Amino acid sequence: MSRFLRKHAWVSGLAALLVVLLIVTKLIQPSFGASGLESIARAALPFAFATAGMAVVVIVGGIDLSVASMMAVCAVTAAVLMERMAGIPALMIVLSLGLAMGLINGALIVLTRVPDIVVTLAMLFVWEGAALLILESPGGATADWLEHAIRGSFVFDGLPKALLVIALGIAIIWLPIRRTKLGLSIYATGSDERAAFRSGVAVGRTKIAAYAVCGLFCAMGGLSLAALTGIGEPVPGPYLMASVAAVVLGGVVLGGGKGGLLGPIIAVFILRIIRTILTLLAVDPNVTTIIEGTIMVAVVMLGTAASLRGARR
Amino acid sequence: MKTLLSGVAAFAVAASLTPAAFAGGHKSYTIGVSNTVQGNGWREQMICAMRAQALVEGDVNNIIVAHRNTDSAGQLEDINNLIEAGVDAIVLNPSNPDALNSALEQAMAQDIVVVAVDAGVTAEGAYILSNNQEEYAYLGAKWLFEQLGGKGDVVYMRGIAGVSADTDRDNGFKRALEEFPDIKVVHEVFTGWQQDQGKQQMFDFLATGIPFDGVWTSGIDNVIVDVFTESGAPLVPIVGADNAGFVQYLTEVDGLKGAAVTNPGSVGGAGIALAVDILNGEAPDSKTVLVDPVLWENTTDDGVATISAAQNPNLDPEWPVSVTVPGWTDYTMEQIIACEGPGEG
Repeated sequence: MSRFLRKHAWVSGLAALLVVLLIVTKLIQPSFGASGLESIARAALPFAFATAGMAVVVIVGGIDLSVASMMAVCAVTAAVLMERMAGIPALMIVLSLGLAMGLINGALIVLTRVPDIVVTLAMLFVWEGAALLILESPGGATADWLEHAIRGSFVFDGLPKALLVIALGIAIIWLPIRRTKLGLSIYATGSDERAAFRSGVAVGRTKIAAYAVCGLFCAMGGLSLAALTGIGEPVPGPYLMASVAAVVLGGVVLGGGKGGLLGPIIAVFILRIIRTILTLLAVDPNVTTIIEGTIMVAVVMLGTAASLRGARR
Repeated sequence: MKTLLSGVAAFAVAASLTPAAFAGGHKSYTIGVSNTVQGNGWREQMICAMRAQALVEGDVNNIIVAHRNTDSAGQLEDINNLIEAGVDAIVLNPSNPDALNSALEQAMAQDIVVVAVDAGVTAEGAYILSNNQEEYAYLGAKWLFEQLGGKGDVVYMRGIAGVSADTDRDNGFKRALEEFPDIKVVHEVFTGWQQDQGKQQMFDFLATGIPFDGVWTSGIDNVIVDVFTESGAPLVPIVGADNAGFVQYLTEVDGLKGAAVTNPGSVGGAGIALAVDILNGEAPDSKTVLVDPVLWENTTDDGVATISAAQNPNLDPEWPVSVTVPGWTDYTMEQIIACEGPGEG
């Protein structure tokens, strides 16, 4: 048990922080219960998928500034398609679209050798324009079952369906990858690209695959936006900065090679619940963002200090 | 039977703890506010009007403001958080008429009063309060046509094609036009509500040399006055909105005859007043409430006095000059400038 805790110190710390925050919420608002958990889980949905995508490319040693734009493309595509055809094929098309956009991002970075930050910044605008071409103003419709899939609780109160969707969506894609050669290659490339290349890792292909996985997660994020609102919105939401923040807070090293997906996902929930607490306390909205930022820096600083002390011992 | 009895007892205890049990005494409502555009003068005035009105409403003891730049999913999150905070009413400026229904329906299922200001929502049972855009255009157009003696050619500068406010305003303009058969529209353009675009369009039209007697604008107004003063063309009567820049011109530019029609962001304060009315059992007959604009012109002494009274150096230059909605809001100009609500500051 203690070995497990030491190995996963950051994630355990985050989980403990989340529990503390949940207790604080309950103390502030005694009526906070299943419905509160459910609305936090629903709010976390798009952030969780954006963060998962971002985490994968950060682990491979890159960054993707176009996540929010890709989500917008997928959300409007889902809303337009589901107005005209059955839900399941539309869902499949949207997931493939996300995968394709990620592949394009990755291929451009690897083939042109232009830095990832430049390529994905450019693609941010390209995908944003594409979303507006697909749907000029908010509209479309989504399948009823998609909206129901994220609303309410599963089996018993207190287990929100949205939480289950996050867990399943990420586990189905990430766990098999992590356990295979591709997963090892992603971590190896992120740690030291040259060493990985010399050890026989197909660095280019690994990077492209990581960006494709990111695109796939963004498609899930876009689908969850459509499911939440029942429409598609072409203008990207605030998911880029939020996903970078959750990735950093979640213990993924920005240089690549270190960290997992569980930490960032817990971080997403921490950031959402902080907003809930600040709303419950009726904190001035102009101060809210300052507090959110300060808490983030403080947690990362404390975490780094703690792990440094642990390493010295 | 025993569970039924204990259920009834629990209900009675719960009922005695709710504010309704103190009917007749001092009520204490908490009102939640949700808005998704931060840093825009009109919206900031709306938020301050909400706080000021909540402060002067005796029945409101707390206001929770969720005010940030976000998308519909973010507004859903904010509304759900307000529900968790146990508010009695939610007053929101919706980011989209259809996207928020899940949260709004949940709120109404918990007997939370929902009032949408500025734009509508499709959730059944929600109240909608907005400026009457048709009346806005009708008032200004009628004043302009009367200035011209019921006869002449006018330039018609609209907003954005397809936006509901523009469509409503067009209906009002056409209604005024029908009452004055000798008035002709010689030029109709969409300014896109962009200052530079509207200015260029006016320059272009002046260059054609086609004579005209008056200009109606959908709020791109002070730059039109600039076109006349910069090019030296003789001024014609101009109708605009109550933007600070234009209202200032009405008092300062020599020879300018004009009128400003109010489109107050303080409609947010009216939304708070409406929510409190509904909570106190004084719901209006219709779910949709329109606030009528007023017209300020500088051709009569009364009009000039109204305009100078409305100007206040402490007022944010980005705000619309009309800070109150007659018949709805009760706060003073100092209170809206202070921008503090109950339980805040």
